[in-house]
Amino acid sequence: MSETENKKFTYYPGCSSQGSARHLDESLRAVAPELGIELEELDDWNCCGASVGHVGGGTLPNLSLTGRNLANASKQGRQDVLTGCAACYLNTHAGNEKIKKDVALRGRVNEALSAADLSYDDDLQVRHACEVIVNDVGLEKIKDRVTNPLTGLKVAGYVGCQTVRPFANTEGGGSYDTYDDPEFLDNFAEACGAEAVDFDVKTACCGGSVSVMNPEKTLHLIKQILDAAKDVGADVIATPCPLCQTNVEMYQEAINKEFGTDFNIPVVFYSQLMAVAFGMDKEKGAALQRNTIRSEKLEGMAKS
Amino acid sequence: MTQAVPEQASKKYDLGFARWVYENVDGGDKLSMCMQCGACSGSCPIGTQMDYGPRKLFMMIRAGMKDAVLSSNTLWNCTKCYRCVVRCPRGVPVTYILGGLGSKAVELGYADKEDSKSFASAFWWSASKFGRTDERLVTAKYYFSFGLVDGIKRGIANLKIAFGMIKTGRMHIGAPHKIKDAKGLQSILAKAKEIESRGGSASS
Repeated sequence: MSETENKKFTYYPGCSSQGSARHLDESLRAVAPELGIELEELDDWNCCGASVGHVGGGTLPNLSLTGRNLANASKQGRQDVLTGCAACYLNTHAGNEKIKKDVALRGRVNEALSAADLSYDDDLQVRHACEVIVNDVGLEKIKDRVTNPLTGLKVAGYVGCQTVRPFANTEGGGSYDTYDDPEFLDNFAEACGAEAVDFDVKTACCGGSVSVMNPEKTLHLIKQILDAAKDVGADVIATPCPLCQTNVEMYQEAINKEFGTDFNIPVVFYSQLMAVAFGMDKEKGAALQRNTIRSEKLEGMAKS
Repeated sequence: MTQAVPEQASKKYDLGFARWVYENVDGGDKLSMCMQCGACSGSCPIGTQMDYGPRKLFMMIRAGMKDAVLSSNTLWNCTKCYRCVVRCPRGVPVTYILGGLGSKAVELGYADKEDSKSFASAFWWSASKFGRTDERLVTAKYYFSFGLVDGIKRGIANLKIAFGMIKTGRMHIGAPHKIKDAKGLQSILAKAKEIESRGGSASS
């Protein structure tokens, strides 16, 4: 990629971009041009089906959600589809690979899509923003853009599940890291000038949508993550996943009540760290005002 | 002392169940690859909350324990972390199979009292009506699926979280975000449902 020419992607923000994870969308859109990424929003994008679409709607209707997005994406061109959301990536990538490999299944999806005069006959690639940053952008470019290094900020890189499982280190998934001990998030933090602390629960599970439905079943899972962050003295936990960010942030008070702890650890997106390190505005660029647990240290470093 | 051999089986076994799963459940055709090593159950972050881990559940499928399998909470407590999928030495798509069994359990009426079914219905209502998930309405609809009193109780318990989300602009006020062609989407979903009702799994 040349310095002047940006690489264009069809951008699928996902439903959380208009709700609980606005700060991921806002900071990602802010840092993308700095990284040579042009994001063209997917026209009239719909929900990916998340973790329960197959239960609420059935398997084929759920897959048709992805089919519609892919059909609309292929109208916009052959460029890769990029999403920052773990669930959107999981569903859209998995659905796309299934449709591409299975002629009969593509026929069924296209039969459904024909009800709205749509059809998906292309072979697009659906990619996660982090994978694109690793493989197409590279750490050097991140370092080049840093004007405001996050010196002294201790970051616990919490990757979570669906960003890397099951597609990291697979051919279709971009072969960008492993699912057992991914390093990309620590590398992002270090490239921004922060200190990536040892965090052995980096791919532990926050409980996902079970935490939304029945937190009493999963608070202990979130507590493990917070315990580990506290043990290593992390100033912030950084994550790429919308649901991880919300779950680990919003349940700290419930965990304190249940277990007698005193957690109050900020949970931010990697793209918020980048925005601060690139010298962007702490609200308009890094969207730090959207965190319910604010990081004084990170905000103190940010340009306003 | 040897126990007396019972004259008839104490449980009902549906010997065609395993084949039905192979043929009708998303990913079920790969179930025959399971060698009962237990890497899935050992990897599961929420196994302690499950009636049976995936390994045992798969054995029960082979044994034909249809009712026990389809009414087990294993299908609902799976957090979709995909650890079992990446660790299975035989390439069994464990998470997908649990999800596929969940869809079938709902379809066949085994899950009427499950929280997950209420949540999934609320979720699908939003996804199909607006084309997008309105987190606020899905949560409210889910809470009130337990009745007015329980709904209010759950709402109050989470009021502080809700205020935090409103204050930071992460829970929006006003009409739901809606896609332009919601009608088109609804036609697609209706058609997909019709195709699915002809039989077979989405993977075939």
